Amino acid sequence: MTGDVLRVLLLLLQLGFVALLYLVLMRFAGSLLRDLRSAEEAQISSRSGIGRLSVLESPADEPPNGTTIALGPINSIGRNVNNTIFVEDDFVSANHAMLTFRGRSWFVEDQGSTNGTYVNGHRIDRAVALSFGDELTIGRVRMRLDR
Amino acid sequence: MTIAWRGAEFRLLLPILLLVPMGFFVTNVALAGVLEPGDLTLAVGYVALFAGAHLLLVAFGHRGDQLILPAVGAMGGVGMIMLNRLPQDLAGTSAFGLELGMAATQLLWFGVGIVAMLAIAVGLRDDGILRHYKYTWAAIGIALLGATLLLGYEVNGARLWIDLGPVSVQPGEFLKIVLVIFIAGYLAETRTLLTSARLRIGFLSVPPLPYFLPMLVLFAVVMLIVVRLNDLGAALLFFGIFLTMLFVATGRRSYVLIGLVLFVAGFVVAFQLFGHVQARVNVWIDPFADPLGAGFQPVRALYALGRGGIFGEGLGQGLVTLGGNLTIPFVHTDFIFTAIAEELGLLGAFALLGFAMVLVFRGLRIASLARDDFGALMVVGLTASLGLQTLIIIGGNTKLIPLTGITLPFVSYGGSSVLASFIMIGLLLAVSHRSGTADRASGS
Repeated sequence: MTGDVLRVLLLLLQLGFVALLYLVLMRFAGSLLRDLRSAEEAQISSRSGIGRLSVLESPADEPPNGTTIALGPINSIGRNVNNTIFVEDDFVSANHAMLTFRGRSWFVEDQGSTNGTYVNGHRIDRAVALSFGDELTIGRVRMRLDR
Repeated sequence: MTIAWRGAEFRLLLPILLLVPMGFFVTNVALAGVLEPGDLTLAVGYVALFAGAHLLLVAFGHRGDQLILPAVGAMGGVGMIMLNRLPQDLAGTSAFGLELGMAATQLLWFGVGIVAMLAIAVGLRDDGILRHYKYTWAAIGIALLGATLLLGYEVNGARLWIDLGPVSVQPGEFLKIVLVIFIAGYLAETRTLLTSARLRIGFLSVPPLPYFLPMLVLFAVVMLIVVRLNDLGAALLFFGIFLTMLFVATGRRSYVLIGLVLFVAGFVVAFQLFGHVQARVNVWIDPFADPLGAGFQPVRALYALGRGGIFGEGLGQGLVTLGGNLTIPFVHTDFIFTAIAEELGLLGAFALLGFAMVLVFRGLRIASLARDDFGALMVVGLTASLGLQTLIIIGGNTKLIPLTGITLPFVSYGGSSVLASFIMIGLLLAVSHRSGTADRASGS
């Protein structure tokens, strides 16, 4: 008789284990759904940008250190205040470089500056395609292109 | 450093931490025939490891993905219950004066793996060392392979193991991480060149060769050595990872098409040249042709799957041993999925696949949210590796594709595999943490 009781109990335990397994799975599904919804909302409320520049190093603090600059499709960089990205640094030319988004990727082109434009430490001599995460050096100012 | 509560992770970990002791309990009731929990030391140890990992991530203010760790915990938990149920003398260590059975050894490796994962997730604030030294990483990878070729010893016809005193390691498990890092670094640098340059032959656009060559050469070398080592599973896995990353980086379907054609061609050549490839394929096509010889393992695995059915035989009630011999050889590594499907049935197998799917889904999400191309590509590669491994070995277990010896991440027994998988999870968490903090810093 006790053998039968044990067998029934064991069956219940086995079913309980599978039920618990599926409870875990349901919780995962719930978490995933919640996350997708909040991500959708976040996308609607913010984030339409095609990219941004994070300022890594800026000796004169203009643009300020540690800030991020939202980018439009065409950005001019230089010491002239009429540039979309105004950079205060003695080694930067008045109209230094152009940063443009063409089709599906970013390009940077030097505008005949005195001290040159550097991508990941290499001086560029033509329009160069940038990847997200690349480092752009203009004068003594270092910036990183981020998504 | 500020504390960051990880509520979702906490809520998901709770039932998992209940699942493992319960599995041990049910196994013991079934095996011993008495209503007692039995020895729960290992289950408690497992629970403590994941609870500790969660608390440390909270304490360090980690803002990475919160579903990854629970998904790993669930997969590992099912694996742990199964390894605890199998005969403990299948594997184990007797190093440092300790005699550990199979499940205890696996738990030890989980501990080592979780420490490595936390170190990478918390410590890797900047991926510069991965990105800028990609050729160094490639060299390390080749060195690993070379070491295996020279010093390795054979298990089951594939030379994959190196003996390092108390432990044996499988360098191939770590090679795949190094390879992903190299390819990600290379593609992140040349991605725009690869997509913008056009060279058309007929309707196919062909990749511009000069930019392509270094990666292709390295990849060919790796594939050659891997095939030389008879590690077919790894060859298939590396090829899948490579094609996935290439497609994600360039968005070109033609590259994938070329890759697949090359794969088929390579397979045909391998089939003609190597006897063991032919043997594998023949066994796959008809395992019943030689049910007591070459087809022994797959035939027994198919029977086990059949015994399991939809609801399974129940934990501890499957036919693991028959007259003192294992019914399926290598049930703890290559055929762990079959053992799970036998005892938990189609339902349990589906749940396990569900956890793996959560892992892959979150991996791809981390990649899409990553701030830089290198991080995104690396995460895609690592996720592809975890996902493809799962597919290749489960496909092999169920006779969907020819069987290749590869581990089921976090489930199969094996120190190298567990450690490598946890390192991959650590990298995923590190990338995800960076995009989490960037969001906060810019206030969006």
